[in-house]
Amino acid sequence: MARNDIEYAEHLGRMRARLLPVLAFMFIVQQMSFFASHIEDPARLVDSVKIGAWLVMSIMLLLILTVDGAWLQRPSVRALLYDEVTRAHRAAAARVGFIASMFGGVFLYFLTFVEPVSGRDAIHLLVTVGIATALIRFGVLERRAHKGG
Amino acid sequence: MADGLGNRLNALRAGRGLTQAALAELVGVSRKTINTVENGVFVPSALLALRIARALGRPVEEVFFLED
Repeated sequence: MARNDIEYAEHLGRMRARLLPVLAFMFIVQQMSFFASHIEDPARLVDSVKIGAWLVMSIMLLLILTVDGAWLQRPSVRALLYDEVTRAHRAAAARVGFIASMFGGVFLYFLTFVEPVSGRDAIHLLVTVGIATALIRFGVLERRAHKGG
Repeated sequence: MADGLGNRLNALRAGRGLTQAALAELVGVSRKTINTVENGVFVPSALLALRIARALGRPVEEVFFLED
């Protein structure tokens, strides 16, 4: 393993740790605007764009949480970026995201007793809560791991 | 230390005059990994523990130990 690979992976890793909470924030803000102006007709162009944007961002963030990225980097740098600690952090983050989604599901279940919630809205909310929580947790763990040394 | 696993990584590494980055290079992992293992934040797999011990030229039980 070359020294410059270690240093480069360190740089990319720190950047990733800083970027994860920003992505989570952007995702949450995007969803807030989604819920603020409720979609009545998914066939309308403006609503199709909103749904498309949410879908693309959700899938992109899910990939960050599940698949090794940095495809354009050297294999040695990729191996360092997704080593044992990162994979453990990602698994821990996925667990927290899953638990948050389940609590969200319980909350929605009881909410339907007082207010009707459409299936589409429920799915949207659960996906958003799960991904955002997992991203924040991943970012926190990565930032903590980079501290000191 | 996490899960009752202690380590003498800091002392052994310093004894050999290695920085975390230098040890990471020898082991073939990121500096972050060495940092988290050394600080007891992360419990390494048996494979990683053995690789760290080999890089330090010490038996694994000298580098890692169970805390009472």
